[in-house]
Amino acid sequence: MALVGLAMLIAILFVALFANQLSPYDISTSANISMKDIYNPPGAAHWLGTDDAGKDVLSSFFHGARVSLIVGFFAAFISVVIGGVMGIVAGFYGGRLENILMRFNDVMLVIPDLPLMVVIVALTKPSLLNIIFVIGLLGWTTTSRIVRSQTLAVKSRKFVLRARAIGAGNAHIIRHHILPLVLPLLVVNAILVISLAILQESTLSFLGLGDPTALSWGQMLNFAFGRGAMSAGAWWALFAPGFGIVWVVLSLTLLGHGLEQVLNPRLEAHHLTPGRPVVQSQVPLAPVKVTTEAPLLLDARELSIDYLTKGQPPARAVEKVSFTLHKGELMGLVGESGCGKTTLMLGLLRLLPAAGQIVGGKVFFTGKELTAMSEEGISDIRWKGISIIFQGAMNALNPVRMVGDQIREAIITHSPMLSHSQLKQVDGRVTELLDLVGIARQHKEHYPHQYSGGMRQRAMIAMALACNPQVVIADEPTTALDVMIQAQVLELLDSLRHKLGLSIIFVTHDLGVVAEMCDSVLVMYGGVTAEYGSVDTIYNAACHPYTQELLKAFPDLSHPEKRLASIPGYPPRLENLPPGCRFAPRCPRAIPRCHTEPPALHSLGEGHFASCHLVGV
Amino acid sequence: MKRYQFLLRKIAWSFFTILFVLVLNFLLFRVLPGDPARAGVRDPRLKQEAIEAIRVRFGLDKPVLNCFQSLNPLRLGSCTVNPLDTQFFIYIRNLLHGEMGISFHSNRPVADILTERLWNTVLLIGAGQILAIVLGVVFGILAAWKARTAIDYAALISSLLAWSLPTFWLGIILLFWGSSQGLPIGGKATPGLSSLPLLQQWADIGRHILLPTLTYTIVYMGEYMLIMRSSLLDVLAEDYILTAKAKGLNTFQILKDHALKNAMLPLVTLIAINLGFTVAGALQIEAVFSWPGLGGAIYEAVARRDFPVLQGAFLLIAVSVILANLVADLTYSTLDPRVQPE
Repeated sequence: MALVGLAMLIAILFVALFANQLSPYDISTSANISMKDIYNPPGAAHWLGTDDAGKDVLSSFFHGARVSLIVGFFAAFISVVIGGVMGIVAGFYGGRLENILMRFNDVMLVIPDLPLMVVIVALTKPSLLNIIFVIGLLGWTTTSRIVRSQTLAVKSRKFVLRARAIGAGNAHIIRHHILPLVLPLLVVNAILVISLAILQESTLSFLGLGDPTALSWGQMLNFAFGRGAMSAGAWWALFAPGFGIVWVVLSLTLLGHGLEQVLNPRLEAHHLTPGRPVVQSQVPLAPVKVTTEAPLLLDARELSIDYLTKGQPPARAVEKVSFTLHKGELMGLVGESGCGKTTLMLGLLRLLPAAGQIVGGKVFFTGKELTAMSEEGISDIRWKGISIIFQGAMNALNPVRMVGDQIREAIITHSPMLSHSQLKQVDGRVTELLDLVGIARQHKEHYPHQYSGGMRQRAMIAMALACNPQVVIADEPTTALDVMIQAQVLELLDSLRHKLGLSIIFVTHDLGVVAEMCDSVLVMYGGVTAEYGSVDTIYNAACHPYTQELLKAFPDLSHPEKRLASIPGYPPRLENLPPGCRFAPRCPRAIPRCHTEPPALHSLGEGHFASCHLVGV
Repeated sequence: MKRYQFLLRKIAWSFFTILFVLVLNFLLFRVLPGDPARAGVRDPRLKQEAIEAIRVRFGLDKPVLNCFQSLNPLRLGSCTVNPLDTQFFIYIRNLLHGEMGISFHSNRPVADILTERLWNTVLLIGAGQILAIVLGVVFGILAAWKARTAIDYAALISSLLAWSLPTFWLGIILLFWGSSQGLPIGGKATPGLSSLPLLQQWADIGRHILLPTLTYTIVYMGEYMLIMRSSLLDVLAEDYILTAKAKGLNTFQILKDHALKNAMLPLVTLIAINLGFTVAGALQIEAVFSWPGLGGAIYEAVARRDFPVLQGAFLLIAVSVILANLVADLTYSTLDPRVQPE
């Protein structure tokens, strides 16, 4: 986009620079022009016809480019300098100065600028210089705002604070630290200001306020429109200059928008972008583990998920992960950040972001295959069968709708065709749910921003329970909360589980919580199952080195004197996975084979699994 | 209580801005050299009595303000003058009485001319604005929903193109095309129809307003579309949209109940900020289509150097825009529950 704009701009700059050489006729003289030359249609002699004075439109067009561009560039230069200085000064020095400057800015922003320009130009001599100054002096309002907010953002960055700490003066900081970071934004803004200035010049000229001696495109249109081109049907005299304006403004707009996208790339994918189709597995797969006491609810079999980015090979975020969840079971899902935990959970309900795709495996819920369902089918399962408590409930609740209303919506969605009296019962149910999580009923009609962090998380839990789901996925429900509130929320979840007979998948970093609450544990590393088993096995007989290292990193109450050990290094990046075992680079017990060959998932009996070469003997 | 203070502060601020415009308007027409009444005084061909008559007629014999005989700050005047008998206060007092002077051209009171024309502009901007917003929002939603598809790119390119069109030029092109289709080429009504039934008169006005409204709609629709698109894209990437999807809501419900209100909020502010530009568009359109509105009044006043009308029209437009901004501000604060006065 930026390139197209740049090419268009260079073309017109070329025309403007070489207007004299390119023009087939000299427009400054009116010699040899007679009545029969007026408004001649385009032809061999005049490619774009002639105007009201019998002059060649093409030649005027070339010269008009020059005038229009000069006005645009110089006026924009004035605007950008004023706006830039004001923005930096206001943002950098702050305080009362900033207040006064920005208030002034607000006032100028509200006053309609074109009528003001018209008034000023009408009261002064209509010369090119006056027009440049008027447009320039009134066009800085957006620039100063943008520059100010960017300066504010840059000002508090670490390196600026450091420069200040070592005693750099304000002027030095502005020149060497602020300006380089504000400049790119200023350039993009300047491009848009130029295009605006060109439009304004043409409008002023068209309204009859242009410099009569400088024939800009707006002036050409003014003459043609005011001197009978309409009635003469001389479309060429009207079309050419307007086309020039559109050409320049469009080229600048494309350039500006293109540059903005380069500087400030935005991933234009969102939650309503249709999900990628599930790649259906043809291989027959069996549930990884079945215990007979309770019915099997959720059953993931060798689920694999890829992230696809344009121009890059797919990144495997989840690789052949299997687990089962029985009624009343609480499974802990453990692993460092970026190990594919959330991806796996979203994949279960096919809620993956647009780049994500299920590329293998199956998921069953009470015997129904979720991975083979239609979008409508899975919509029915969502929330009613399996609901999710999202991490960071701050953003998971809609800020402009009342909390009670959002809970109510979940209920109504899954029980359509309610009669009037039944709708009343829904209200009662909402109150009951909020009671359950300890939120007083008067908060029902409050908005999320009026809640505290802990309340929001509890409201989110109430919402997750609204449709009596069989399975609740709690995705790090306590990460953003302080310790006391964390304990409250966890206690609440645990009590609800026993009261309502819920099955819960609990995604967390916190092994202590897992030990206390969970029945089974799935440890993920780099998108694969590291180890999976009952909570007793994992805590007492962990065989994967990663699990062992994780456990060493948590305090053990029975051996308080033991030192805590952290695992050096970071989890692998998805686009750059090691060829062998994904944990090998950080593994204290790695053998040469670990670096070349990925280990298979070995069954160790009694529902205990680990993927490690050391145990697969 | 807090809300009350918030309202008061907004209103006070608008009042201050209007005051600023009043002073600006007063000064502009006195400092800048173009006003014929003042220029005329310096014409050497005039007799002393004639000059004196002009000065009295336009109130130039009075001092500008207390202590200031003229606008030259170095030449102070007497401070004992009754402040109400100075040029500035007479100007304010006249405005409060709705007097804006007499048109040079038609010799009618400027206030009468402008009130007639104000409603025509409101009609034009109203019709165009509603169409532009509705279509812009609809296409914006479509483009954001179908992000990165052919629909999205087509909408994006066409709105950038619409943005690049000079309003008056688009008007000219449409006028050219419209006149070949038998549409009227200007004005608000065909002369001599006042004896016809009301319905036919309205139909006639409708035929006249068609092209100006179309021009207006095309120019501003693109901008609203771009704003709506980017605002909705931001909202659709929010976590609460994922929550809504996880709740089992279908696409339509998510758009309607969770995305639109949130995405419309920035639009309300931008419509307000845009009002100033909007007036600029109306000015050009009225000039091209000889629509008898405020913009048309400015266009004619410039051509005839009819300064009282120009001054009055500028003032009226500026004050209307400031008030419309105030309304938008207040609307926004009632729409968004998060706007809590600090």
